[in-house]
Amino acid sequence: MTGLIHMPDFFLFVAVIIVIASFVSLYRGIEGPGIFNRIIAVNVIGTKTIVLLVLIGFIYQRQDFFDIALVYAILNFIMTIAATRY
Amino acid sequence: MFDTIIISIVILLLLIGLFFTVAGTIGFVRFPDFYSRMHATGKCDTLGEGLMLLALIIYMIGYEGIFKGDLVHALFISIKIILLILFILLANPTSTHAIAKAAHDVGLQPWKKTDETQWMNDMETDEVTNGGETG
Repeated sequence: MTGLIHMPDFFLFVAVIIVIASFVSLYRGIEGPGIFNRIIAVNVIGTKTIVLLVLIGFIYQRQDFFDIALVYAILNFIMTIAATRY
Repeated sequence: MFDTIIISIVILLLLIGLFFTVAGTIGFVRFPDFYSRMHATGKCDTLGEGLMLLALIIYMIGYEGIFKGDLVHALFISIKIILLILFILLANPTSTHAIAKAAHDVGLQPWKKTDETQWMNDMETDEVTNGGETG
């Protein structure tokens, strides 16, 4: 490390901000009028979760989380397309 | 020296990506209409998360790869994250377009700017009608 800053701590800071942002957008998912606001909320939270999984993989030095993030991205896309198509 | 430059670039890109993500979230909560909320989230999320994943690639190659001497391992992981960025750049605008087209087909009207009292009335009736006809 550089001695100036411990890098996993900074990743943890970024992850905490992302979690707070996804809780704030969960408010629109619960409250928002109509079904379409909820679909956008699911899409937004899913996209934030991808970055969160990659950050967790960097914090704990585990490589499994990148594969999980890839699968989660594909599932999120398919879920959105299916929810808007039907 | 090189170490400090890499770390500085990584921190700068992470903070810019975080700014775009938080701005998109604030727009998603505060904007008055469905279409304008989608305008906020569709672009800010794509750019912000692309920048954050790019910062993680630079950290992986520059720090873990070069300084710890584990370049092959770092390249494998960064190829996975590059695939993730390409997939996000493809899928996020596509799903935004699909949601907008579905809302347009159902018949959701875009919000128009009127005077203040009319706007308040529109917001109140909007929640009732939208929840009824699309939910």
